[in-house]
Amino acid sequence: MAQPEKKAGLLKRTSSSKKPLKEKVLLMYEQIFTKEDPSKSNPRFWDELFLMKVNLEYLEGKLESLDGDEVMKVKDNINSLFQHCVQALAEEHQIRVVNALQTLCALFRGVHQKNRSATGFDIINMLMGFDKAELRMKELMESLDALLCGDGSQSLKSLCLKLLLCLVTVTDNISQNTILEYVMINSIFEAILQILSDVSSRAQHGYDAVVLLALLVNYRKYESVNPYIVKLSIVDDEPTLDGMGMVIHHALTEYNRQYRDKEEENQGGFFSTLTSMVGSMFIADADEKLSVQTNEAILLALYEAVHLNRNFITVLAQSHPEMDMAAAPAVPVPSSPATPLGTTPPSLDLMNNPELPLDPNLQTSNLLITFLKYSSIVMQDTKDEHRLNSARLCLIILTCIAEDQYADAFLHDDNMNFRVNLHRMPMRHRKKAVDKNIPSRPLVCAVLDLMVEFIITHMMKEFPMDLYVRCIQIIHKLICYQKKCRVRMHYTWRELWSALINLLKFLLSNETILLSKHNIFQLALQVVNLFNMFITYGDTFLPTPSSYDELYYEIIRMHQVFDNLYCMVLRVSTNAGPWKEPASKVTHALVNVRAIINHFNPKIESYAAVNHISQLSEDQVLEVVRSNYDTLTLKLQDALDQFERYSEQPREAGFFKELVRSISLNVRKNVSLSTMSQDVLLKEFSSIS
Amino acid sequence: MGDTELEISPAQLEELQKSPSASSTSTTSSLSLPSSPSSGPRPSSSPSTSEGLPTSSPPLDVISEGVGEPILVIDTEVAKKACQEVLQKVKFLKADGEVSSASSEPVLVNGTSHPESTNGRKPPKISEEEAEPLKNVRCRQKNNSSKQSLLLRLFESKLFDISMAISYLYNSKEPGVQAYIGNRLFSFRNEDVDFYLPQLLNMYIHMDEDVGDAIKPYVVHRCRQSISFSLQCAWLLGAYSSDMHISTQRHSRGTKLRKLILSDELKPSSQRIRREMPQPPPSCPPPLHHCQGMSGHSLSPSKRTHQRSKSDATLSISLSSNLKRTASNPKVEACQDEPVRLTPQREFIKSLMGIGKRLATLPTKEQKTQRLISELSLLNHKLPARVWLSTAAFDHHVVRVPHTQAVVLNSKDKAPYLIYVEVLECENFETSSVPVRIPETRIRSTRSVENLPDCGITPDQRASSFSTVPNYDNDDEAWSVDDIGELQVEFPEIHTNSCDNISQFSVDSITSQESKEPIFIAAGDIRRRLSEQLAHTPTTFKRDPEDPSAVALKEPWEEKVRRIREGSPYGHLPYWRLLSVIVKCGDDLRQELLAYQVLKQLQIIWEQERVPLWIKPYKILVISSDSGMIEPVVNAVSIHQVKKQSQLSLLDYFRQEHGDFNTEEFLTAQRNFVQSCAGYCLICYLLQVKDRHNGNILLDSEGHIIHIDFGFILSSSPRNLGFETSAFKLTSEFVDVMGGLDGDMFNYYKMLMLQGLIAARKHMEKVIQIVEIMHQGSQLPCFHGSSTIRNLKERFHMNLTEEQLQVLVEQMVDGSMRSITTKLYDGFQYLTNGIM
Repeated sequence: MAQPEKKAGLLKRTSSSKKPLKEKVLLMYEQIFTKEDPSKSNPRFWDELFLMKVNLEYLEGKLESLDGDEVMKVKDNINSLFQHCVQALAEEHQIRVVNALQTLCALFRGVHQKNRSATGFDIINMLMGFDKAELRMKELMESLDALLCGDGSQSLKSLCLKLLLCLVTVTDNISQNTILEYVMINSIFEAILQILSDVSSRAQHGYDAVVLLALLVNYRKYESVNPYIVKLSIVDDEPTLDGMGMVIHHALTEYNRQYRDKEEENQGGFFSTLTSMVGSMFIADADEKLSVQTNEAILLALYEAVHLNRNFITVLAQSHPEMDMAAAPAVPVPSSPATPLGTTPPSLDLMNNPELPLDPNLQTSNLLITFLKYSSIVMQDTKDEHRLNSARLCLIILTCIAEDQYADAFLHDDNMNFRVNLHRMPMRHRKKAVDKNIPSRPLVCAVLDLMVEFIITHMMKEFPMDLYVRCIQIIHKLICYQKKCRVRMHYTWRELWSALINLLKFLLSNETILLSKHNIFQLALQVVNLFNMFITYGDTFLPTPSSYDELYYEIIRMHQVFDNLYCMVLRVSTNAGPWKEPASKVTHALVNVRAIINHFNPKIESYAAVNHISQLSEDQVLEVVRSNYDTLTLKLQDALDQFERYSEQPREAGFFKELVRSISLNVRKNVSLSTMSQDVLLKEFSSIS
Repeated sequence: MGDTELEISPAQLEELQKSPSASSTSTTSSLSLPSSPSSGPRPSSSPSTSEGLPTSSPPLDVISEGVGEPILVIDTEVAKKACQEVLQKVKFLKADGEVSSASSEPVLVNGTSHPESTNGRKPPKISEEEAEPLKNVRCRQKNNSSKQSLLLRLFESKLFDISMAISYLYNSKEPGVQAYIGNRLFSFRNEDVDFYLPQLLNMYIHMDEDVGDAIKPYVVHRCRQSISFSLQCAWLLGAYSSDMHISTQRHSRGTKLRKLILSDELKPSSQRIRREMPQPPPSCPPPLHHCQGMSGHSLSPSKRTHQRSKSDATLSISLSSNLKRTASNPKVEACQDEPVRLTPQREFIKSLMGIGKRLATLPTKEQKTQRLISELSLLNHKLPARVWLSTAAFDHHVVRVPHTQAVVLNSKDKAPYLIYVEVLECENFETSSVPVRIPETRIRSTRSVENLPDCGITPDQRASSFSTVPNYDNDDEAWSVDDIGELQVEFPEIHTNSCDNISQFSVDSITSQESKEPIFIAAGDIRRRLSEQLAHTPTTFKRDPEDPSAVALKEPWEEKVRRIREGSPYGHLPYWRLLSVIVKCGDDLRQELLAYQVLKQLQIIWEQERVPLWIKPYKILVISSDSGMIEPVVNAVSIHQVKKQSQLSLLDYFRQEHGDFNTEEFLTAQRNFVQSCAGYCLICYLLQVKDRHNGNILLDSEGHIIHIDFGFILSSSPRNLGFETSAFKLTSEFVDVMGGLDGDMFNYYKMLMLQGLIAARKHMEKVIQIVEIMHQGSQLPCFHGSSTIRNLKERFHMNLTEEQLQVLVEQMVDGSMRSITTKLYDGFQYLTNGIM
């Protein structure tokens, strides 16, 4: 304890300058890794051990270096070490508790590092011994629960959470971590909730707690009954849920702010003065830099909350003042470079403040708005795997939201208007929208804007088919709600129509390439059916009669796309082949669109002929449309307003497994016990002990 | 200490009893005698008092049992009065304890040997006091002079009402008379006295000590009974003391009483009794049971939902460990919060005012609205609580503020706002338990998409609701016959093959109904339906970020209630009600309160005299000299908003809303318009209401006009520009709605005015006294100058004959019609405030 400077080497595995055998603790470790029971020679061995500063690196290294036989030899001592660690947790002396926590961490990691291939049961046996495992883990979890819920030191709580994160992420695949079975039996769910419900503990540990919860929920999600899923689904304590929402909100806001800072950095200086051509090259370049690492763990937490807990939906709409602006000057960016996934919690100062700060420049915001902004950033670039996953998860969350009755109600609430500045991909042919001009509208408009934005920006060779399908589903679900509840949004539907038609056009022109990988007919069918919704049910949700006219105008104007689509699907459906059936569905779905085109086109042509006009103006076309409705008959198609409800299993199970795996790796990499310097702890405890 | 002092009292009582009678003020002595049990109004009034009581405050559970035994109650009333009277004479400033003990006496009456309800000194004193009336009666008989007996007979007659009591209290210089009336206050119905509460308290603050002493016991007694009354008193005392000089204010009687009330020392004495006697007497349980029944009811739904949510998680996880900690976050406040009787409500009001203050700092309406919504959503977290809106007519607990419905009202620099408040009606807000919080999303257990009215139309219904066109196919261009044939052939095939990943609910549009004939619909029908539905919805106003309240106010109240109820987690409860209130912060509502009282009084007078004038006094809650709350007039928008949104003349708007001339709706609306117009013209004349621009005149959905904003009345007028010299505002547009100058309705209008004026004149005193008493010590602009009251009296024209009055009315109408100033003023308002 005489060398506080040595803490620097605590976890850095790479540092080679070991000074073994100098510290007493290392000698004691040596003793453990012998066959002899160390307490035989020194009855106070265990007492003394936990007074020593832990050398995680050495301990882990030692555990890793053991091979099978040796393990069996020292098993008793390791079991004994584990047992004494657990016992030490219950002690009053906080230094012992800290050391025990860190030692446990090293034990879990070291044993797993070595035995990647070993079965969970072997590992349990090695650490605790089969016969004792249940008891030991029960004691451990109870101690951790007590520490987390008690009034003790914040650093201790933080260490407990880190130990838990460490334990949860020792295996790549969380479901293979057999030790977690004990965490299921001895639930620490309530402790996590308590951390989230309390304002001050939430500020310090909320982030870790939320990530931990998200991971625990994913343990053997599909195979067995996970009590964390059950419990999370029935939480109805609003302060707790709000707290969880705040943590997520803050993490996402932090991300948005970082992104914007980078964006501004890149826009500054000479880049902006370059010509558009060169500029666009640089933008592509800048894009790389702009990709602040996405935060999948927090997104997963948001997903689980939205998906599992129906009370959480209200939290989405809970208003907070816009934090990113206020936080920027007051709080320095956390110094750790690994902010998004590191375990240093984002600064949560503002969360502590129950009164809304009084700043006229503050726009009120809520989790949903922040999430939409976040999604708009993430969706900009789906090239790399992480971002693709994040974008997918964003869309899945939006799907869940769009299906929720309550969420729909506030999305469409006429009284809740917000300006949502979505980030738009810089593109050559369009200028960046001026932020200030966005009108204040119900939130559903922002969701639709985001979907439209996605549709028009992702028509590329690496076609993200499943994202498109999700995107169209979200629009469909929203429209179904509007139709059912007769909500008439004053939305510029035209933008959506033209985006959808362009999508069809893209599918047509890249038919051969796309068809080799995807079922484009499914997507085409969805798009056409969206049009069918508008055509046959437009009276229930369109804002004005003239918007119905505009729909017809748009279809007639772009009739070639529909004509070509019809030709294509007809061709495919008449040929035998794998696409015969899906293509023929599209043919049938096109009935009404074709009826409209076939009905009005001749009328328009004759109008032009009669009036000797070569090019009809929009108003003239609309006039023709208006006067010829009555002779047009449409066919009512079934089940247009039905949709399949989202279900995670079985379709999304694979995605979530992979996602959780990647999150686990990331969390493991970034959990660092070294952030907790011995110094700080000593200072904190010196008064106590 | 109180004990020792009171110990002496029996002896002193005797002495004191003699001394006043011996003194020269013989009137006093005779009047100080409490009216004998046989006096006229008493038997009828006291049972009604006790009937009114149980709804208002807890201690009266005990008293209410007396309902069955009216005679006994009378006795106690008498005894109580005697007791108080004597105590006042002694000038026991510590009299509070006495009053409370008096209120607890009925236990004695019950015959049960009372276990020393208040410090054990009661029984001997009672006997003393009960003996007194007899003596006093004798005394009175001795000193019976004719004048006194006349006054006494008046006081004891049935005609002697609260208005007269207030008047005598104010005008009489005799301490005895004042003291007598102070006692008589106890015999009036609470609601009747409440109406004059501002007058009573203003007298208490600004008049001499005798009046104050006469009033105080009553106020203290009522404060003990009711939290609501306590707070109202405290607020009014604060507001009416504010005009005093700061140095005198601090030590004034009003400030002291206010402090006493707010210190919450005035607790109902019966709470003590209850604690001592856990088993209430057998005759009193009914009210208690009722309360429990109510609370039990309001509890049950949330219990049910909680169980439901548990059973949703069908898995066999033991929840015991879960519950252990959730129990530590209790969601319901402890029911009997004795030490914080007043706190919840005060905090509630404080946070509403805080919101108003913060809103005022924001520059745009849009920001204000957003902030308001988010602030209210935070407020929601603290609800339900033992808080209520004083403007409501029934007892209730506030359970939720539907925050998204709140709107910021139009005001240039202040930020008044309108909130809707969901409440659960209850037996008694002080004793009924506070409803349990139901989370927002719980609404889905009561309502799902499918249950939404006229929203869940099945495809079949929908098809039938269209004019179905069975194979109506005269248009070859629609689709070729081949297409249809092809479709029909394809159906079964599709069905058999559709066992791919897409489930039965897929976006697949042509499944499952293959057996049915395809349904055809005409595109024209869809288009027509769309325009019809839009035309059919009741005319709504367009959303205007600069005038967010217009839309909210235009929505019919019934519809709003239905909509909010549907969206509320509490909506399914049978006692659910919706209230609304305007929160004003930074405005002095004392003049508004005065105007309300005058309007209310005139309304009563006109009703009494059967003059069909229509006015709508709206309730005012004065919280301090610069804040308060107003009960909004529902289903009404300002004429300014009407004209701006509809871009129609008033008459055309009437036709748009109510139908063409000669339809019954139009005629009804027109009659309503005329009756309200006449009523408000009289009000405007009598009270000299100024600042009458179209933003301050509302039009309700039945055609009534309602004047709001009585910021300039009596002696004050805006900016003293000398505008608005006419008696009242009568524009040609108004006359057009009435059917023109020659129409019957216009004559009816003038006749109503005349009748109304005659009726008002008859009861002038009642109106004058309301204003006059408030004049005391007031710095309000409406009392500027010295001739306010005299001018007010003159406007009643007591000296004119009815014929002369008729001429006067004609002149006033003519004058207002021709008045260029009204027009000028409207123009002025348009230029300065953009009000049309």
